[in-house]
Amino acid sequence: MKISLFEQAPYRYLPPDFEQHYESVCSTPYALTDADGVYSSIRDFMDELMLGARAGFDGVAVTEHGQSSYDMVPNPDLIASALAYMTEHEGLDVAIYPMGRSLGKTREPVRVAEEYATIDVMSGGRLVAGFPVGLSYDANLNNGIPPTETRPRFNENLELVLKAWREQKPFGWNGKYSQHPQVNIWPRPLQAAPPVWITGIGNPRTMQMTLERGFGFNYLSWFGAELTGKRIFDRFWELADQVGVPRNPYRLGFLQTVAVAETDERAEQEYAEHLEYGFRKGLGSIPPEKLGLPGAIDIRGVQALLKDPGDFGLYYQMKTATFRDLVDAGVVICGSPATVREKVAAFCKDYGIGNLHAMLGFGSLPRDLAMKNIQLFAEEVAPHLRGLWSDTEHQHHWWPERLGGVPQPATVQSEREKAAV
Amino acid sequence: MTTTDTTPVISEEAIDVWDGKLTIRVKVAGAGPPLLYLHPAAGLAWDPFLSHLSERYTVYAPEFPGTSVGDPYAVHAIDELSDIVLAYEEVVRRLGLDKPVVVGQSFGGMLAAELVAHFPGLSEQLVLLDPIGLWREDTPVANWVATPPEQLPALLFHDPAGEAAQAMLAMPEDEEQRVAATAGMVWAFGSTAKFMWPIPDKGLRNRLHRITASTLIVWGRQDSLIDVSYAGEFAELIADGKVAVIDNCGHIPQVEQLEQTAAVIDGFLS
Repeated sequence: MKISLFEQAPYRYLPPDFEQHYESVCSTPYALTDADGVYSSIRDFMDELMLGARAGFDGVAVTEHGQSSYDMVPNPDLIASALAYMTEHEGLDVAIYPMGRSLGKTREPVRVAEEYATIDVMSGGRLVAGFPVGLSYDANLNNGIPPTETRPRFNENLELVLKAWREQKPFGWNGKYSQHPQVNIWPRPLQAAPPVWITGIGNPRTMQMTLERGFGFNYLSWFGAELTGKRIFDRFWELADQVGVPRNPYRLGFLQTVAVAETDERAEQEYAEHLEYGFRKGLGSIPPEKLGLPGAIDIRGVQALLKDPGDFGLYYQMKTATFRDLVDAGVVICGSPATVREKVAAFCKDYGIGNLHAMLGFGSLPRDLAMKNIQLFAEEVAPHLRGLWSDTEHQHHWWPERLGGVPQPATVQSEREKAAV
Repeated sequence: MTTTDTTPVISEEAIDVWDGKLTIRVKVAGAGPPLLYLHPAAGLAWDPFLSHLSERYTVYAPEFPGTSVGDPYAVHAIDELSDIVLAYEEVVRRLGLDKPVVVGQSFGGMLAAELVAHFPGLSEQLVLLDPIGLWREDTPVANWVATPPEQLPALLFHDPAGEAAQAMLAMPEDEEQRVAATAGMVWAFGSTAKFMWPIPDKGLRNRLHRITASTLIVWGRQDSLIDVSYAGEFAELIADGKVAVIDNCGHIPQVEQLEQTAAVIDGFLS
């Protein structure tokens, strides 16, 4: 089991009644912030990630949001490159995991290929490359991409990035969304093929693509894994069966918000208000229409969602969710090390999850408490989870070789054959 | 002047264009000289306005690619606004329409203006109903694609509670039909947005001078989607353009103030 520390950089000092007046993305007035608050929110976020790297997490992961008060990271590669250099300098064998340069959003895919390649070089081959399709508010509203174009742009951009890494000679690219007389990036990644991960919210098309292409698939528990997990993960493994690839837990990643303290009572006492802040003022304050603008979701998907919005779990109640609601829905796991261990292990075992991304900084959580959460998780929880799949035959093909990953079979066909041996 | 309450017999033609890669469905009704009607972003709804027009004209109302029931992926056949304009010119030619009157509403108004700006010989009379296609920073066009559904009526109508608005907004009672209708409208918004996102200004300002058709620009005085001041912009840029402003009226004059709207259009066309 690979365990990463995942962090966002929320602005931590929003007013108590924020969610009654504002949205967390696109239109949030910057006047709500002050310079010290922005500085400390970002600085502490970086320090927490470095603590994670030093505390023995297998990876440190961040993602990308534009014009967002709940995650002030406009490009994960900025953060990842700082982490790559710092961790290399300190000799820390930790994966650098920008979970999300959104390729449905970007207008410069060659630059994405260059950035990720540079991070791989800076880190000595420790890049794990995440490519989400792109959320509507971000790709379409913040970045002006027509909603119908997000998916085809993602597909084309991904091809271009992979080709830019792979090709040995300059090549021309005559795409629908970008054209280049020649592509010949410097540097190329150190890894022959950096592991590629796609993050999705349960769209079967996205899942199928990751399985067919041999990528890893990440699911984020924002909507409450108790409500959505069974739907999403069962769907994923059924699709794996259809595609004909093994149910290898290492190809599945799961992000879970976790808050751990000495006892269950103390955990609730210390973390409840910050968790409520995080979800009410963050995801809960993204209006539904901004998550999926007309055209961004296939018409069949819209029909499916209208008939059964179950994939969205607690989302529609999140703006007013209490700590108890968040726990019951599985949006967060909060408690003593024993409680957390038990819940996370059971969940990962039940659903065949071989990569855990623990989100340990959230909402208004102050620096000291975030540090405590990370430290306790690293010492008291992670060691008990790490061996979860070690007694199986599965190999981890979606992790850097330098960090124990096994380069993956080139095709689905050879993956099947290798699994059969 | 009177407007009819009865719907005429509507037939449908399927026109293959774009080297056979796209079939555009056209609703046809009425008798008389040809009139091409280009519908707004939500798709084609045959309404009393079209019935009224069909009393004097043979109305041809093409469905924009992606908005036809059962053929949502037609939107993928065309990528560029200029290509959809060419495809529409092909539709007009294949239908054999000789100098049709061209009427367009909102998104369809932009398309109509683009069509006759690209092909000035195509039509001699043009009616634009609250068309999009221009952009003023001081009074930006509202972003209806990103507007929460519950706020749409107030964006589209001066009086969302009025009879005409309510009739247009009514959804099917049957659950299955309602899901299909809602998903269809969402997809229609997405299909048309492909050609106007993120700002409904794709350079039409620079092309409007090519329009030689006599043009009537009709605008609801209280249009809160695209301000009535845009009417003057269009009129200034189109050589033979005049404006009719409809009172007590939002973005869809032919629905909200049918009688007034039909009267000014009839007067212009006669």
